[in-house]
Amino acid sequence: MSSQTYPGGVVIANPYPVDQVKIIQAPLPNKVVLPLQQRIGEEAKSCIKVGDRVLTGQVIAQTEDQFCVPIHASISGIVTAIDKQAIPHKSGLKSTCISIESDGQDEWIKTQGCGSDFLHCDRQTIIDYIQHSGIVGLGGAGFPSHAKLNKAIDCHTLIINGTECEPGVMCDDALMQYHPREVIRGVEILLHITGAQQAIIAIEKDKQEAYQSLLMFNHNDRISLTQLPTKYTSGAEKLLIKTLLDVEIPSGGFAADKGILCQNVSSVKAIFDAVIDQRPLVSRIVTITGDALTPINVEVRLGTSFEQVINLTDVNNQAHDYRMGGMMMGVDIETTQMPICKITNCIFVNNKTLKQPAKECIRCNTCNTVCPIGLLPQQLYWHAKSENIEKCTDYHLSDCIECACCSYVCPSNIDLVSYFSFAKALDKKQTADQERIDIARDRFEFREYRLDRNKEERSKMMAEKKQALKEKMAKDKEQGLEQTDKIAQAMARVKKTKEDNA
Amino acid sequence: MIESVVIFSGLTLVLGLILGYAAIRFKVKGNPLVDQIDAILPQTQCGQCDFAGCRPYAEALAKGEAQINQCPPGGQEGADALAELLNVETLALNEEHGESKPRHVVYVDEKLCIGCTLCIQACPVDAFVGASKVMTTVIEDECTGCDLCIPVCPVDCIYVREINPTLLTYVPTIPGEAFV
Repeated sequence: MSSQTYPGGVVIANPYPVDQVKIIQAPLPNKVVLPLQQRIGEEAKSCIKVGDRVLTGQVIAQTEDQFCVPIHASISGIVTAIDKQAIPHKSGLKSTCISIESDGQDEWIKTQGCGSDFLHCDRQTIIDYIQHSGIVGLGGAGFPSHAKLNKAIDCHTLIINGTECEPGVMCDDALMQYHPREVIRGVEILLHITGAQQAIIAIEKDKQEAYQSLLMFNHNDRISLTQLPTKYTSGAEKLLIKTLLDVEIPSGGFAADKGILCQNVSSVKAIFDAVIDQRPLVSRIVTITGDALTPINVEVRLGTSFEQVINLTDVNNQAHDYRMGGMMMGVDIETTQMPICKITNCIFVNNKTLKQPAKECIRCNTCNTVCPIGLLPQQLYWHAKSENIEKCTDYHLSDCIECACCSYVCPSNIDLVSYFSFAKALDKKQTADQERIDIARDRFEFREYRLDRNKEERSKMMAEKKQALKEKMAKDKEQGLEQTDKIAQAMARVKKTKEDNA
Repeated sequence: MIESVVIFSGLTLVLGLILGYAAIRFKVKGNPLVDQIDAILPQTQCGQCDFAGCRPYAEALAKGEAQINQCPPGGQEGADALAELLNVETLALNEEHGESKPRHVVYVDEKLCIGCTLCIQACPVDAFVGASKVMTTVIEDECTGCDLCIPVCPVDCIYVREINPTLLTYVPTIPGEAFV
């Protein structure tokens, strides 16, 4: 049934391996910063004021957008500011955030959930819990879980993504090793919601301990575990489906169209926490790795600053390069004064090195052979560079998953993927601009038409009035004789009365 | 010999009829060049080009009665695009028609508005909502940033708001082109 592989991709061993994967509980931060902008949709509106005391798990910002999730306080304490702050995003733009100063008590708000008898709750109730608990895809994309679940109507297969193919990242590995019970129970909740016949947990072969621990806790025949070869990009949703089920999701299509639902393991654990433990998503596991320290996994409250988390390690005193997200798909960042977000799975701290400058493309074709989607990065590169979006679209730019395999293998050190993300953003901008221009043109033309129509209507009305007046005058003229007669009679009457009186 | 003459005359007649019919049936209405030019123009409808809007300017350009560098909102890129379409040398933007400003919209200070409706009449895209002697406001999504409403306001309560890139509209820069 399963083809177990796909063309392209690259095999990279964990550059900073550890003997045993562990999770360290980070101490409670004294301050958290929570951004209001989520990955998709409008910026959330805060529903608290500066100076308010909030409890852990309390909703502090919401949107009306059904697609988005509310934002919860991750510690209890006093709201100190609602202002623009640096957030972990490749743009380096500032965005509105809520800052909370901890009171050190970590007092939780009372929340509702299904409890362990979730089987008695219906599908929509549980999905609503999941939404209200703020659960998004924790693998890195940050797609809201409830939106996926709402779309999965005729779902037959559930795929739980525990591949964690980004080299160096260990947070899902650690989660599966230390929370296997929660993961399996979480999968059971998802099976209940979707009504799927089977669930497949996919794990890469290099995570034997995780596989074993999940195997120990799995007593459900509808849940199976599959080991996949260790290869980067095997965790991409469409590729994972292709590998496991040999089903190809067409360009622009969704897994839900084929009755398949994918969820990341950490999201599954978060769903367990939300539904059974009745706890919203306020913390996550982050891997801190790199050559400047001994890699660790830390369970940390959302909104804790990168710096505080990095200080939990034995980081050396040299100058560092920082990168958030994976080694391949992550983003280089300048400062560590940024909050951990729901999608921050990993922070790289490397000793500062000079970046290799890019050289000319030698058209060696290596990038074309590693692209897991089967695109032609080299062609796309030329067209993106010349800002020729039409050509990029012809070469299926929108299907690029920005996995950076092409950049990794490029012998000229060209950062190909940044050209593609540039071209995608440019395409989006141009489409939006064009839409706006078209609306403006329509509105202008309609206004011209309206003004002309008003003028015409007015002149028509005036003409009608004129005509009516003319007709009336003509009619009066006809009756003119009679009229003068009447006047004469009246005058005679008056004269007569006057004479009588005299 | 006579056969070929008949055949070819017949062919000529039939093909001629088809062509004649096609010329009437598929006649291009209006000047397609005007549409092409209009598609490039930014549709701000600001009138800075000295024409009543983008379409009149496009018509003038198609007739050769205007220069390609009269549209400040289109910027130098717009002038270049027009030059390419019309196959002429590109020109630097004519500063007499105003300077190219970043994209912006206007908004009304609603406390000051007296409801004179002058802005409603000035707006080329009907982006104002209001009526006589009531507060007026701008639908910012519809505003093209033509600034025509600003000079007509008797109480100066219309202000410009620049549109800054947000996380959702951000376009990353491509890496430096300095190859070694």
